[in-house]
Amino acid sequence: MALLEVDNLQTHFFTREGVVRAVDGVSFTVEPGKTLGIVGESGCGKSVTALSIMSLLPQPPAKIVGGSVRFEGFDLAKLSERDLEDVRGNEIAMIFQDPMTSLNPTLKIGTQIMETMQRHLGLDRKQAKQRAIELLEEVHIPGAADRLNDYPHRFSGGMRQRVMIAIAISCNPKLLIADEPTTALDVTVQAGILDLLEELQEEYEMAMILITHDMGVVAEAADDIVVMYAGQIVEQAASLELFDHPEHPYTEALLGALPQIEGEGIREGRLTAIPGRPPDLADPPPACRFAPRCPFSDREDSCAKEPPELRQIRSGHWVRSAHPASERTREPAVASK
Amino acid sequence: MVVSPQAQRMRSPDPAHSGDIDVAGAGMPIRQSSLWRDARRRYMRNKGAVVAGAFFLGLVAFCIFVPIFSPYDPDKVDFSQAYLSPSLAHPFGTDQFGRDLLTRVALGGRISIAIGFAATLAILVIGLTYGSISGFVGGWLDNAMMRFLDALYGLPYLPFAIITLAIVGTVNFWTMVIALSIASWFTSARIVRGQIITLKENDYVRAATAVGARWYRVLARHLVPNTLGVLIIAIFLELPGVILGEAFLSFIGLGINPPDASWGSMAQEGRQVYRTHTNVILIPSLAIAILVLSANFIADGLRDALDPRTKET
Repeated sequence: MALLEVDNLQTHFFTREGVVRAVDGVSFTVEPGKTLGIVGESGCGKSVTALSIMSLLPQPPAKIVGGSVRFEGFDLAKLSERDLEDVRGNEIAMIFQDPMTSLNPTLKIGTQIMETMQRHLGLDRKQAKQRAIELLEEVHIPGAADRLNDYPHRFSGGMRQRVMIAIAISCNPKLLIADEPTTALDVTVQAGILDLLEELQEEYEMAMILITHDMGVVAEAADDIVVMYAGQIVEQAASLELFDHPEHPYTEALLGALPQIEGEGIREGRLTAIPGRPPDLADPPPACRFAPRCPFSDREDSCAKEPPELRQIRSGHWVRSAHPASERTREPAVASK
Repeated sequence: MVVSPQAQRMRSPDPAHSGDIDVAGAGMPIRQSSLWRDARRRYMRNKGAVVAGAFFLGLVAFCIFVPIFSPYDPDKVDFSQAYLSPSLAHPFGTDQFGRDLLTRVALGGRISIAIGFAATLAILVIGLTYGSISGFVGGWLDNAMMRFLDALYGLPYLPFAIITLAIVGTVNFWTMVIALSIASWFTSARIVRGQIITLKENDYVRAATAVGARWYRVLARHLVPNTLGVLIIAIFLELPGVILGEAFLSFIGLGINPPDASWGSMAQEGRQVYRTHTNVILIPSLAIAILVLSANFIADGLRDALDPRTKET
């Protein structure tokens, strides 16, 4: 049985400007011990998907209007707030984007790590302290025992993210959701954090959802990849398959925007940016949501009339487009739009 | 909030980024500097606040120690000594009953300052409770509580204090505290509410929720302690108003009863003879002025020290 089954999740924001369909029918599964990468531009629903799983969105304005999130068979959306609190941090943990603001400036690092364990595992102070030192050592913070008594402002960004990771894994969760865990960090620090996550994942046998806009990050870490655009999944495949044979024009464009410094067939010259910007989710394009930016669509074909379904193009490879790479007959339109 | 933006912005290269290399001592902060040490440094840079702080502490010490070492009984009536001018024996002179003004003003100061701090504390406790509930719960309750507060805002502070004293009937330390705090906690409630609402959006609050912290824990551990900086400032912002209020009530005869004295009631006694014996009204009035002024300066310095974003140095 899959650890996490997200089925047709729909999360909408009810705002004064209208209903924003931030997540519109997203389905995926996460197997125990595996890593699922969710990729996409800013504002395409990645984080909202993650926060919906944890029921961490402020309601109102957000509301999960449809679908289900099953964790080990239990529907998380149906749990009471009290039961959810027992799941959060204990069974499912989460790391956020900005480590600079994710720690309480008035509490010592040690206190913040210990609290979660005292809360969920019922450890006493002494045990929790012992475990906190072990955790800091596991996330490679030197001088762990001394640093427990430091306040967060004494830690750099990368160190704080390590502390956040230590808190997240402290109760041995089965699923770790990492929401852009390296975005706010220096490039040199990013690699270290990703290595650490991979190392811990193996040791703790956790499943992981890795949310990022950086194709390079998922390429290394993820087993399966979901590409999201405008609140929907546009492509879904195993990591290798997706990188070797991207089908959706959007995935191709994302890969084209990735700098390459080595390997076969490297592109030269400027990186190709994707023209335009993601649609307003309060009023998305009626049919294919990528059509206005897609080099393969034009006014005559179905792209502007009927929304494409997510279909299986090869075994385990799903795509939502009328013009996947392997079925394409026309050349991309000249960039005249 | 209390953290300096310099500290937040400081992003040194992460020494621990390469997982398995464990350099001894790497990652230790170079500069040992704590939150409070930073705050103290910033406070010390404000000369006005430092001088005001010295005056304030001096005044408090004066009120505490002078009656202990004074050779005079503050309540002993001796008409042969009435209205003496300042001299070596009586540096501030004596009042109509021949009591030493130096001793009296220190005793009165004890009461004035004690009432001032107690009432300020009461104001903050009420304000903190009301404001944090309103800000934390939000929604319609917040709305209702704030509209109720708007209505209360119309209440004039001193008349309300007078009415309260009239209803209670007796005047002592505690009734004065109640009268002075009952209609003056509105502003601090608003400050706290605003602060809580801002803090609520912080990532670490979301992070705490994400690891399963219950609401009361979030409130008590993550929100209220972060309002500490503003609260300390608020103490010294409220204090002058409360002390003036106490002085006013005593001055018009609603405050502390003789033979006990506060600065307000002493000024009232001096008012009747201000042409002939100016020192009797001047001494307590000066004491009030120094206290109020220094409290204001201290509040200013504390704001720069604890909330440095309002003024980049």
